[in-house]
Amino acid sequence: MFEQSSSVMKNIILVGKPNSGKSLLFNQLTGMRQKVANFPGVTVELKSGKFGEHTLIDFPGAYSLSTLSRDEEIAVEKIHEAMHDDNTGVIVCNLDATRLERSLVFGLQVRDLAKQHDKALVFALNMIDEVGRFSHQVDCDKLSEDLGAAVFPLSAKTLVGIHEFKLALNEVASQPEKYIPRQRVPDDDSVFNVSRRIAKQYGIHADIVLKQQNTIDSFLLNSVLGGVAFFSIMFVLFQSIFTWATPLMDGVESIIGWLAVAVTSVIGQGVINDFLQDAIFGGLGSFLVFVPQIMVLTLIIGLLEDSGYLARAALICHKPLSYFGLSGRSFIPYLSGHACAIPAIMAARTIESPRKRLITMMTIPLMSCSARLPVYALLIAVLIPNTTYLGGLLSLQGTAFFVLYFLGIVTALIVSVLLNKFTENDSDKAEMPFILELPNYRLPHWKPLILRVLTSAKQFIRRAGPVIFMVSVVIWFLGYFPSSEHDLQGSYLSMLGQWIEPVFEPLGLDWRYGVAILVSFLAREVFVGALGTLFGIEGADENIAGLAENIQADGLTLGAGLGLLIFYVIALQCVATVATLKGETGSKKIAWGLFAGYGLLAYTSAFIVSHIF
Amino acid sequence: MTLWDIPAKKSGLISGLDNALLPAVTNRLLEMGLTDGQSVRCLRRSPMNGPVVVQIGDCVYTLEQSIADKVAVSSLS
Ligand SMILES: Nc1nc2c(ncn2[C@@H]2O[C@H](COP(=O)(O)OP(=O)(O)OP(=O)(O)O)[C@@H](O)[C@H]2O)c(=O)[nH]1
Ligand SMILES: [Mg+2]
Repeated sequence: MFEQSSSVMKNIILVGKPNSGKSLLFNQLTGMRQKVANFPGVTVELKSGKFGEHTLIDFPGAYSLSTLSRDEEIAVEKIHEAMHDDNTGVIVCNLDATRLERSLVFGLQVRDLAKQHDKALVFALNMIDEVGRFSHQVDCDKLSEDLGAAVFPLSAKTLVGIHEFKLALNEVASQPEKYIPRQRVPDDDSVFNVSRRIAKQYGIHADIVLKQQNTIDSFLLNSVLGGVAFFSIMFVLFQSIFTWATPLMDGVESIIGWLAVAVTSVIGQGVINDFLQDAIFGGLGSFLVFVPQIMVLTLIIGLLEDSGYLARAALICHKPLSYFGLSGRSFIPYLSGHACAIPAIMAARTIESPRKRLITMMTIPLMSCSARLPVYALLIAVLIPNTTYLGGLLSLQGTAFFVLYFLGIVTALIVSVLLNKFTENDSDKAEMPFILELPNYRLPHWKPLILRVLTSAKQFIRRAGPVIFMVSVVIWFLGYFPSSEHDLQGSYLSMLGQWIEPVFEPLGLDWRYGVAILVSFLAREVFVGALGTLFGIEGADENIAGLAENIQADGLTLGAGLGLLIFYVIALQCVATVATLKGETGSKKIAWGLFAGYGLLAYTSAFIVSHIF
Repeated sequence: MTLWDIPAKKSGLISGLDNALLPAVTNRLLEMGLTDGQSVRCLRRSPMNGPVVVQIGDCVYTLEQSIADKVAVSSLS
């Protein structure tokens, strides 16, 4: 019989205070790309990756072993589990060198727990580059002695000390018994006192680290300037999705147009030519045009998340949001909901109050996610003239974008008030207060940011691309045959369309839009692809003008167009979001109820709008 | 006087937490550094009775009124 070696395949768990750089360290050690951002509560579930032959597990941050919010609850529950698990080889406790005292309160608690369970524990003293900037040196040998566990100074950002840490971690994992903490907080002392004492001895003076942050805050949190700054940032955010991306989008559009001409001229007239032109270049192509917008949106949200401003925005919004029954913490999921509702609903875990968390989750689908971008952009290009003011700084179309986003937010707030009314008589005791740490301002880390932008484009294409491709092909076949002139009005699709037309007629839309709306329940972007194919079949000639021009020429009325926009602002056309809602709220009824409720509201609002204009 | 009453740019020493706070919240506040004798500085107040921004130890936090007014503070300077 072989003895099972204790050295192989152990779990290494990575824990620490929120926003202390755990996930960035995790990424550096595993080569993975977990989300890193500069506010507490980014990681909300356990993530594991490979570190050599070991498994490294990134935890949500926690201030202590007693918990307030759902993400912390998960972290602490799992820490206790890991302590009892034989597979747990090493605990890496991440300390933020700029916030040593706060990091140690949690660190010492975990250390004592590890000692109690005979688990190996090492400290990673992260962000050493930031204290280094103030020429502060930490005597890590002595600190190790005082803490009774090894301390490794490193920076997950500049990579100082990472190589050494990797070597050390392998060594620790192979001989864990040598790294069981040698000390614990004595019974006649408290974790708080020990942390304060050690931080005073080794840490950098708080006033030095906080000076820059406080100076910037005196502008960004100023009662007058702060508000102006907040609205300017939000306006630039939404407007730039339109203005910055336009040149790139034009570029993609001409490349696709050029490709279409090149390919179809080689093939010659016929069914295949028509198919390529209508379904592939018309359908799939009109969707690819919007990739640059997704990238710009991700870039800007990424910049904001990494800068440290989001925690300030949460503070500024707390009071106003509390009138609607929400918390300042709702701001962050709301903002990231503009990229995609799914991670945003997960991010709501950091909201302490269960009721506010529920209301936030239920209203996140009203944030205009990136899947709506193509629909908005297309319809705005059709309906709103391309006028600019102030030398191009302000564009009418960009402003229309802002209005649509704003409309989604306003609807969310109204729904929140209503939901709050209905749940009011529930226990108000479970109300948890708003406490948030304001992190240092940091310059965004460009490499992960660029990677994130590229990933967002890839995901956007991978998620919706296949669906759009299939829908375009199916629609093309149904729309092209059987009429001999390949006329849309004589096609199978048109016959089917007559059936659904009564539903969409009250909105001032004919069956072609009806078909596009119905298939967009698969994914919202499909709307654009489907219309692209339909208008491709109709605009029979070599005319590969943009889809927007085709729709304009076809004559979509302003009322119907605006109604359509409102419909897309409100409707919850995303199965994945419904599934996430079901998972996070634990209720099928809530999830499908929202689907039906928002659908109904969307239809009614579209009806009203189409009759006003 | 409480943490809610400290004027901006003034410091004080924490002298206790109100019993009316939920135990979970009290614990959290202690762990965030709001222990007896800890010095706190009010960095700024927000308009319309919005949350206050305070520096406690090496961290900057923002707290809303419902907790800030349950943290007793003494020896203002
Ligand atoms: N200067 C510097 N910044 C760092 C370092 N490590 C992380 N950061 C930054 O610190 C911020 C927080 O990093 P994360 O890795 O998201 O922190 P976390 O501990 O995983 O946070 P939670 O998941 O919220 O608990 C990000 O803005 C990082 O870019 C470092 O060594 N030096
Ligand atoms: Mg993290």
